Amino acid sequence: MKVRVNDVELDLAPGTSAIDAVFAAGGDVPYFCSQEYMSPIGACRMCLAQVGAPRKERDGSWVMDEATGQPKIFWFPNLMATCTTQVMEGMVIDTLSERVKTAQNGMVEFTLINHPLDCPVCDKGGACELQDRSYEFGDGLSRFQFDKRHNEKHHPLSDLITLDRERCIQCKRCVRYFEEVPGDEVLDFIERTAHTYIGTADHGLPSNFTGNIADICPVGALLDASSRFRGRNWEYDHTRTTSMDDATGAAIIVDARTGRIERIKAALNPDVNKTWIDDGARFGHEYVDSSDRLTTPLVRRQGKLEPATWDEATAFIAERLKGLSGKDVGIAVRADATLEEGVAAMALAEELGTGQLDHAPRPAATLIGNQTATITDLATADAILVVGDLTEEAGILDLRVKDALKGVTPPTLMPHGVPIADLRLKERMPRRREILAVAAPYRVDLMRHAGTAVHYPAGGEAAFFRALGKLAADANAVLVEADEAATGMSTAQARALVARLGAAKQAVVVLGGLALTRRESAEAARAFIKAVGAKELAVGPMANSYGLELLGVLPSHERYGYAGMLEGSKALILSHLDPAQDGEVAERLRGKDLLVVHDIFMTETAHLADVVLPAASVYERDGTVVNLEGRFLPVRAAPVDAGSSTDLTGVARALGEAMGKRLEGRSVRSARRVLKKRFDIDFAELPDTGLLPRTKGRGPAKALAGEAPAATGNVLVVPSMARAEYLSRNRHLAAAVGGNRLRVNPEDAAKHNLTAGAEVRLKVGGTWRQAVVHVTDGVPRGLMTIPSLPEQPVGLAQADLASIVVEQVRLEVAS
Amino acid sequence: MNETHTHTQTPFFADKQEKLAEILSRYPAEGRRSALMPLLWEVQREERYVSEERMRELAEIVGTTATEVKGVMSFYSTYHDQPVGTFHIQVCSTLSCALAGSDELFDFLSNELGIVNGETTADGRFSLQKVECVGSCGTAPVVQVNDTYFERVGRGRCQHLVDALKQGELPPVWRERGGDTVGAAKAEPLQKPTDVREG
Repeated sequence: MKVRVNDVELDLAPGTSAIDAVFAAGGDVPYFCSQEYMSPIGACRMCLAQVGAPRKERDGSWVMDEATGQPKIFWFPNLMATCTTQVMEGMVIDTLSERVKTAQNGMVEFTLINHPLDCPVCDKGGACELQDRSYEFGDGLSRFQFDKRHNEKHHPLSDLITLDRERCIQCKRCVRYFEEVPGDEVLDFIERTAHTYIGTADHGLPSNFTGNIADICPVGALLDASSRFRGRNWEYDHTRTTSMDDATGAAIIVDARTGRIERIKAALNPDVNKTWIDDGARFGHEYVDSSDRLTTPLVRRQGKLEPATWDEATAFIAERLKGLSGKDVGIAVRADATLEEGVAAMALAEELGTGQLDHAPRPAATLIGNQTATITDLATADAILVVGDLTEEAGILDLRVKDALKGVTPPTLMPHGVPIADLRLKERMPRRREILAVAAPYRVDLMRHAGTAVHYPAGGEAAFFRALGKLAADANAVLVEADEAATGMSTAQARALVARLGAAKQAVVVLGGLALTRRESAEAARAFIKAVGAKELAVGPMANSYGLELLGVLPSHERYGYAGMLEGSKALILSHLDPAQDGEVAERLRGKDLLVVHDIFMTETAHLADVVLPAASVYERDGTVVNLEGRFLPVRAAPVDAGSSTDLTGVARALGEAMGKRLEGRSVRSARRVLKKRFDIDFAELPDTGLLPRTKGRGPAKALAGEAPAATGNVLVVPSMARAEYLSRNRHLAAAVGGNRLRVNPEDAAKHNLTAGAEVRLKVGGTWRQAVVHVTDGVPRGLMTIPSLPEQPVGLAQADLASIVVEQVRLEVAS
Repeated sequence: MNETHTHTQTPFFADKQEKLAEILSRYPAEGRRSALMPLLWEVQREERYVSEERMRELAEIVGTTATEVKGVMSFYSTYHDQPVGTFHIQVCSTLSCALAGSDELFDFLSNELGIVNGETTADGRFSLQKVECVGSCGTAPVVQVNDTYFERVGRGRCQHLVDALKQGELPPVWRERGGDTVGAAKAEPLQKPTDVREG
C-alpha cells in the first residue's frame, strides 16, 4: 500500500496505522496514549497530523488533479490522530506543516496546564515522555497563570505502586493495560471531567502483573514504590539481561547505582515476554542488597568459621580433597546456575573423577520433550490445556496464553520496532475462552479466563492424563467413575476437550511443575500429547533447568543424584543450595569430611560448612541460560558491590589453581569455548533476544529420575511467583503478596484453629516452614498449599498438622 | 493473588432473585456488564447509596471487578457512594435557575437545614446538593426532592416545602403555567404525582 509521509514514499502492509507509517518513514510525532502491544485509542490527541487521500470516481478511476495530472488529494477537514487512522492506498501524511506544529504545541500546553512542575524531584525526570515531548514540541513558556489543580501526591495503590495523582495526564495506558494484558481490571478512572483520577476499589491491586504500569506510565504518576527517590535516571547503570526469576527467561533491565540494584524494569523481547514481566521478576531483587550478604570466604578453624582469603580457602579445600577419593565428592548446583557455571561444575567433577554431579531442584521427568512448543506457538495456539498454576509459576506464559485468547497474532516488526499502534487490538476484545482448559488440584488464577476449569485430586496428574488418554485413543470410550473423579470432568466434557485438542491446528499442552514431579505423570502426559498431536511446553522449576539438563550437569547414575550425594558422599560442594533446612539432612551433613558451601547468605548449611565461599547472585553473573522453550538467552552482570564474591567459574578457577590445574570453565570465556564446541553457538555474541536453535542440541540421552516426592500428603507444595527462600528479605514484595502463604480451606482452618493472617510455623517433610495463614475456599478440604523452596520442590508433602505453632495472630481490621 | 472476598452482609439480591433474573434477562449473555446500571439503581433506590460491599456483589454478578463498578458509578453524579438523607434535596444551579435566584434558595435551605453542599444532617433525614441543569429551565428555579420536581420555588414555597419535609411528608407537587403569583399555599396541585417515592 503506497503511502507518502512528508516527502518519503513508503510501501506498507494494509492495516498499518498512520503513526507507524510516520515512524517507518523516519519521521516523528509525539504521543502519550499509544503503547506497544496495546490497543490504540486516540485519547491524548498528541499525534495529530494532516492527512489526505485520493478519491475514486464511480467507475473506480482516481479523481485527478488537473493542474498536476496526479490523483487529487482530498485532505481531511480536521487534523487526525494518526494512531487511530489506518493507512489507505495513496494516503498522504503531513507532520511538518505550521498547522500541525501549532496543534501539537497547543496540545502540549493543554496537557501541561495541570501538570505539576516538580521534575527536579520526580523519579521519572530524565526518562519522562512528557518532559521530552515538552522540550521537543512545547513552547517553553506557560500562559497559564492560575492555580493548578491539586491532588494527592503519595497515594499508595499497593505496596508496590505509588500514585501521584497530580502528575497523571489521563492517557489511560494503565487502565487499558490491566484490562487488555493480564485481564485483571483493578484500576479505572474514577469521577469524570477535570475531577477524573486513577483509582481502585480492589485495594492492593490484586494481580501478579502490577509493576508494568510503572514502566508504561508516560509521566511520573505511577512509580515503583521500592525504588522511589533512590536515584535519578542518568545515575543508573542500565544492564540489559535476562530474568532468572523463573523458567521463561523474560528480558529485563537492571538499574544499579553505587553498587546496589535499585530497580528492575521490563525490556523488550518480542518472542518471549514482549514488554511485560511479573512482579516477582521486578520486585524480587531486594535480597541482593541485604546487609548480611557474604563478601569474603570463611574457613572453619578450631570449630569456628573465620574470614579468610580466597587463596587460603581454596588451599584448605584442595588439602582436604587430597585425603579423599575423588569419587566420594559430590557437586551440586542450584538449577539457576548458568551454562558457563554448569561447565565449571562438570570440569570440577571430571577433574575429581566423580559421577556425583547434579543440579537441583530437578524434577523426576525430563524437561526436554520431543515436541517442545515455542512461547510464540503458545501465543498463537487455537487449543490450550494448562496443568498447574501458570500465573505463579511462569507469569509470562500466563500473559501469552491470554494473547492466544484474543486470537491476534504477534505483530510483524517494523523498521522502528514493534508497531506503536496495532489497529487489530481493541479495548475489551472478545476472548476465545473456549480454547483454554485449565486443570489444577486447587483454584488457580488462570481459571477465571478458561472455558474449561477443572479440579483433579492432588497428586493425580498421572491418572488425569491416563483418563484423557483413553479418550484420545478412542473418541467413543466412556470414562468410568474413577476416571471422571481423576479428571474432574464428565465423559462428555472430557471428550469435548480431547476432541478440541485433537482437531486444533496448533494445540499446546503446558505442563506445570506439578505434572513433572513424578515420572509416570510426565509419561502419561506425553503419551496423551502425542496421541492428540499437540505440542508441549514443560515448565522447569528454575531459570536454567532446561539448560543444565541439556548440557548434562547430571549424575553418572541415578543413585548419585542430589538426594543420593547428600546421603552417600564423604565430601560435598554445594552452590546456592541449603539442604540443612531439613533437620535429618543437617544431621547427615555434620558427618561429612568436607562441606563446601558457595552461597550469598549464611544459610543453615553454611553454618555447618568447613568452607563458605561468597557467591555472585543471579544479577551478578555473566553467562547464558536456556529457557523452557529451549531458547539460549544472555545473562549479564550488573555492577553490584558484593565484596570478593564470584560465580562458580570463579570457584573453578581458584580451586583449580590450588590444585595446580587449569580447569575448563575457569572463566566465562573458557567455559564458552567448551559450549561453542558443544552447541556451535558463539555465546559471546548472543543477541539480546536470544537464539532458538532450529536443530536443538539434544542433551545426553540419560533418562534419569530426579527426586520424586511422596505420592500422598496433606500439604501441596506449590510454585510461587515470589520466591519463598528470599521473601523475608524482599520487603516490598513480601508485603504485597502477604508473606509465604499457607492457604487453608475455611473448614480446615476452623478445625485446626487457624485464623487468617496468623503467622505460623509448621514442619513440612523434615523442614520447618514459616508461613502466614490465608483462609480461602480456593483450596479443597483436607489440603493446604505452601510455596516451594529450591530444597522443597513442588508436589505433595506430609506436614505434621499437630505441630503447627502459631507465633503471632494478626488482627484483621475490618474494612 | 486474586481471592474472592467473603461477604459479611447478606447479599442484596439474596431475596430478590426474581428481580435480578429479570434485569439480567434484558441483556444478552455476553453483554452481562450492561446490567450494571439498572442493578446499581436497584440497590440505590432501596439503600439510598451503594456501599463498597454492594459494589463487590454487583461486580461478581456481572462478572467484573469492584473497581470497574466504582468507575461506572463515580461517572454518574446521581449514584451515591455515601448514604444520603431520607429527603435528598437537589437545587439546580445552572444558568436559568441561577438567574431566577437559586443561589439565594440554596443559602436559605442551607440555613434552614444547617448543612452545606454535599452534607447530610446528623439525623439522616436531609441531604443537600447543588446540581447542574435538571432540564426544567422553563419553570426555574427548580428543587428536586428525591425523584420529584418542585418548580418555581420562591422563598415562600421553599419554606412551605421545608416545613412539610420536616414533618416527614413530601407535599403534593404543584405545577403551573406562566404568570403565577398565587403562592405555594394557595396553588392547587394539578395532579397527584404517581412517581413520588417515599423515603
